Amino acid sequence: FCVPRSIAVGGGNARHEQPLLQAVLVADSFNRRFFPITKDQPRALLPLANVSMIDYTLEFLTSTGVQETFVFCCWMASKIKEHLRKSKWCRPTSPNVVHVITSDLYRSLGDVLRDVDAKALVRSDFLLVYGDVVSNIDISQALQEHKQRRNMDKNVSVMTMIFKESPPGHKTRCEDDDIIIAMDGKSKRILHYQRAQALKRLHFPMNIFHSGSDEFEIRFDLLDCHISICSPQVAELFTDNFDYQTKNDFVRGLLVNEEILGNQIHMHVTKDGYGARVSNLLMYDTVSSDTIRRWVYPITPEANFADQEGQSCTHSRHNVYRETGVSLGHGSQMEENVLIGRNTMIGANCTISNTVIGANCVIGDNVTLDRAYIWNRVHIADDVKVKQSVICDNVEVKHGVVLNEQCVLAYNVVVGPDITLPEGTVLSMHHPDEEDDEDDDEFLSDDNDVGYRKDKTKQKVFNPAEVGSEGKGYRWKTSSLEDTEEDELAECIWGLVLNADPESDSESEVSEGSHDLGSHPASPELDDVKVFQNEVHGTLQRGLDENISCDNLVLEINSLKYAYNISLKEVMQILIRVVLEFPFHQQGAQISTAQYSSHLLPLLKKWAPVFKNYVKRPQDQLDCLASMEEVFLERETHWAALVKVLMSMYQLEILEEEGIMHWFNQGSTTDKSQQLRRNQGLLKFIQWLQEAEESSEGDE
Amino acid sequence: MPGADKETDLSERIESFLSELKRCGSGAGSLRGSAETARETTALLRRITAQARWGNAGDLMEIIRKEGRRMTAAQPSETTVGNMVRRVLKIIREEYARSRGSTEEADQQESLHKLLTSGGSSEDNFRQHFAHLKANVIEAINELLTELEGTTDNISMQALEHIHSNEVIMTIGRSRTVEAFLKDAARKRKFHVMVAECAPFCQGHEMATSLSKEDIETTVIPDAAIFAVMSRVNKVIIGTQTVLANGGLRAVNGTHTLALAAKHHSTPLIVCAPMFKLSPQVSDTPVQSHLHDLVKLTSILSKVNAHGPVFDYVPPELITLFISNIGGNAPSYIYRLMSELYHPEDHEL
Repeated sequence: FCVPRSIAVGGGNARHEQPLLQAVLVADSFNRRFFPITKDQPRALLPLANVSMIDYTLEFLTSTGVQETFVFCCWMASKIKEHLRKSKWCRPTSPNVVHVITSDLYRSLGDVLRDVDAKALVRSDFLLVYGDVVSNIDISQALQEHKQRRNMDKNVSVMTMIFKESPPGHKTRCEDDDIIIAMDGKSKRILHYQRAQALKRLHFPMNIFHSGSDEFEIRFDLLDCHISICSPQVAELFTDNFDYQTKNDFVRGLLVNEEILGNQIHMHVTKDGYGARVSNLLMYDTVSSDTIRRWVYPITPEANFADQEGQSCTHSRHNVYRETGVSLGHGSQMEENVLIGRNTMIGANCTISNTVIGANCVIGDNVTLDRAYIWNRVHIADDVKVKQSVICDNVEVKHGVVLNEQCVLAYNVVVGPDITLPEGTVLSMHHPDEEDDEDDDEFLSDDNDVGYRKDKTKQKVFNPAEVGSEGKGYRWKTSSLEDTEEDELAECIWGLVLNADPESDSESEVSEGSHDLGSHPASPELDDVKVFQNEVHGTLQRGLDENISCDNLVLEINSLKYAYNISLKEVMQILIRVVLEFPFHQQGAQISTAQYSSHLLPLLKKWAPVFKNYVKRPQDQLDCLASMEEVFLERETHWAALVKVLMSMYQLEILEEEGIMHWFNQGSTTDKSQQLRRNQGLLKFIQWLQEAEESSEGDE
Repeated sequence: MPGADKETDLSERIESFLSELKRCGSGAGSLRGSAETARETTALLRRITAQARWGNAGDLMEIIRKEGRRMTAAQPSETTVGNMVRRVLKIIREEYARSRGSTEEADQQESLHKLLTSGGSSEDNFRQHFAHLKANVIEAINELLTELEGTTDNISMQALEHIHSNEVIMTIGRSRTVEAFLKDAARKRKFHVMVAECAPFCQGHEMATSLSKEDIETTVIPDAAIFAVMSRVNKVIIGTQTVLANGGLRAVNGTHTLALAAKHHSTPLIVCAPMFKLSPQVSDTPVQSHLHDLVKLTSILSKVNAHGPVFDYVPPELITLFISNIGGNAPSYIYRLMSELYHPEDHEL
């Protein structure tokens, strides 16, 4: 990175003493949380209080003094490009030079940052934000602290994350993003970073508390604003670690490998200022209402910061904003927190509160709107009731329709007349079945949905029971009779509690990360495990052939573990399985028990240090025994070998007698495993163990 | 092409001024004084006059009006910008009239009947071309700038007429004009100043520090104590953000309380306001700033609306005297000053 920097200095930037402040704006979420809305419009362009979200982000960047912004887009990149070209950011007078970089190949934040590194775009510290961040935080102090830290100890700190203090229950806290952070109270260094979602128990590695400081804070009152100050090393680190996909991966990777790589992450907590990411529709609701309630001052609707023609609006009491050309019928009331776009006509006797209405809408008489987000050119007929719903462009809502909480009417849908949509209905003109190819291009297809879609018969007619007799559109969320995947999808859009994964423990980040990825957790994870198993087998085979020392084997397995994001427990299970099945792979599946044990025992002896590395705590022993049991249950003929394996592992001090006894006495669930426990040899072994124990006790 | 260069340079300056206006915010949070804003606006308008392309006074007024609209829209609460635009428009009208040889006075003293019959034809009169108009306008704007530079001095010069020895003066928040006014008086007289702290931003603290540095006996009081202390006070001297057309004030939050207390105790309330704060606006829209101290109330925030007004409206009956750079005036005289400063057609930009 020295080379581009020197060029930059020589090339005319010399008059600036400080290098330009640059920002990387990722205008893609790499997930489908806003589906099916984002089928027609990228998320960064969705209107929030009648201004595209990306404009909020750019305004934030510009007001913090960013002079050069790289906007990375993938999904519907041309639309974003077009929007930016027309906006004030691309005027020659803009203090913030915006470059748009598009590629269909970006699949994650990791890809973007790798591209940043490949193209050598950043020359010094830069800001990293998503295209859906709304904020007015003054980061100059954080920036200064970051620079100071970097000057003080030679680039050890690579990133400063900005957090906002917001206690649990705060509106802008989104349950998906709850995090727990352990930090060094003095130096503000992040020691541990964990998503808290659906976790009942939390684990903190002990070593973080040995780091020499005497002041630790464990905080749950922080909101990640998704704004970070990164040094150019961040991009390099993403290149070096091709498996990093999300910022989460990155942060965890750095923290885990802190001793090896020597990189640290710091944090900056702001008390005032507003910062939130519109990560789902619930957050959309919250951020919209906060904007209208002026929490993001000076970014308020009447400021017209995006500087669009005709967008200027007036602000009057109770936070009622009106753009030009709004007409309001007789007896209609705008109670509070209402924003109405230009040339919108509202009929008589309407009650409107906490609502945003876009431009050129027509709203009939006796309409009640509460927490409704109505975008542009929407037609709403008489006697309609809308509660906390999103209605996209060009939707037509006919006479007498009632929208209950958390409905979404995507682009061009027609609903009604006289129909009540239940809570959480999602209607779109795109049929849920049509998983078109263009889609697969943009997002990794999620297998759960595909599976579900195949089940459903390909019906292409509009269902009048769903959308009304004159309606047009397909229902995306269906009642509870349908698959649970559908529920999950629809709830995702509002960001409620995701289907809690029963197995999610502290390692649940594997699936967390893949949310952002856009892929579904289940299948890729399985694949990873399988591939990992093959890799371990290959490694051991090679180790045997080339006589590689056990230390190196451990190293290789560890690196595989990180590459495939496998938990320690799984590593052990897979290792046991691979080793126990090793003779079958070498000699064929039909070998006799005697042959099997004669092959296996030397191997066990040879690789004892490898096992010892992974089997340390009593729990590990139990896991290890459980996976042994699993392997042997699959191969009934070789039960006799089990005792030999146990014996040898006991002698090699991999397993201890307590562990084995504990395992043996454990209540087994299946008949087969009970059978296994009644195996003659095993019983003898156990008896011998017991005697040995007693005698050792007697010795004492 | 140097011409094009000039124009992009000009529009760049306008843009940066606009964005600065937007970001700087208004009222308590603003880093710059309104005097500075006034000067900057005028300087920018002078540049527009000098560099933009225009053939006659009508064109120029159109350009200035257009840019003026954008500037006022950028920060509606900062009325100074609009006032300066109106002043410049008035200058152009005057210079044009002078070039034509008629007197602007005659135009202005139009009778109701004349106003009714002449209709909107006045704009057409500005189509004539005068070669020296540009130089004259720029010259007049320069005079305006000189006037702006001197406003604070002119106001503080009058301090000795109003502040006497051993008086107790009360003020609120921080106003640069009042600060200069008091400091000027302190060079000759000994007096005591009570500063209401003006929560939540507590600009009063800064004010008190600054005054005590000049060896003025200063006491900071909480806003709640204003009424209790008022009985001991001889005069209340405050600044304001805007003087409205009816002689009322738009001033920092808490001023209305202060004015009511002063009225109750019949304490004279003197407002130090330079002429450029005089605005033809009458009604007022509420301006709210960010109140992040409220974040602690999280659990109820979704159910309540939190309003944090920055400015108070103070009705004219509560005000005793305005001290501007051209002397002291009663609130009832404001409308007269207004018609001298701005042309009636420019009230709406």
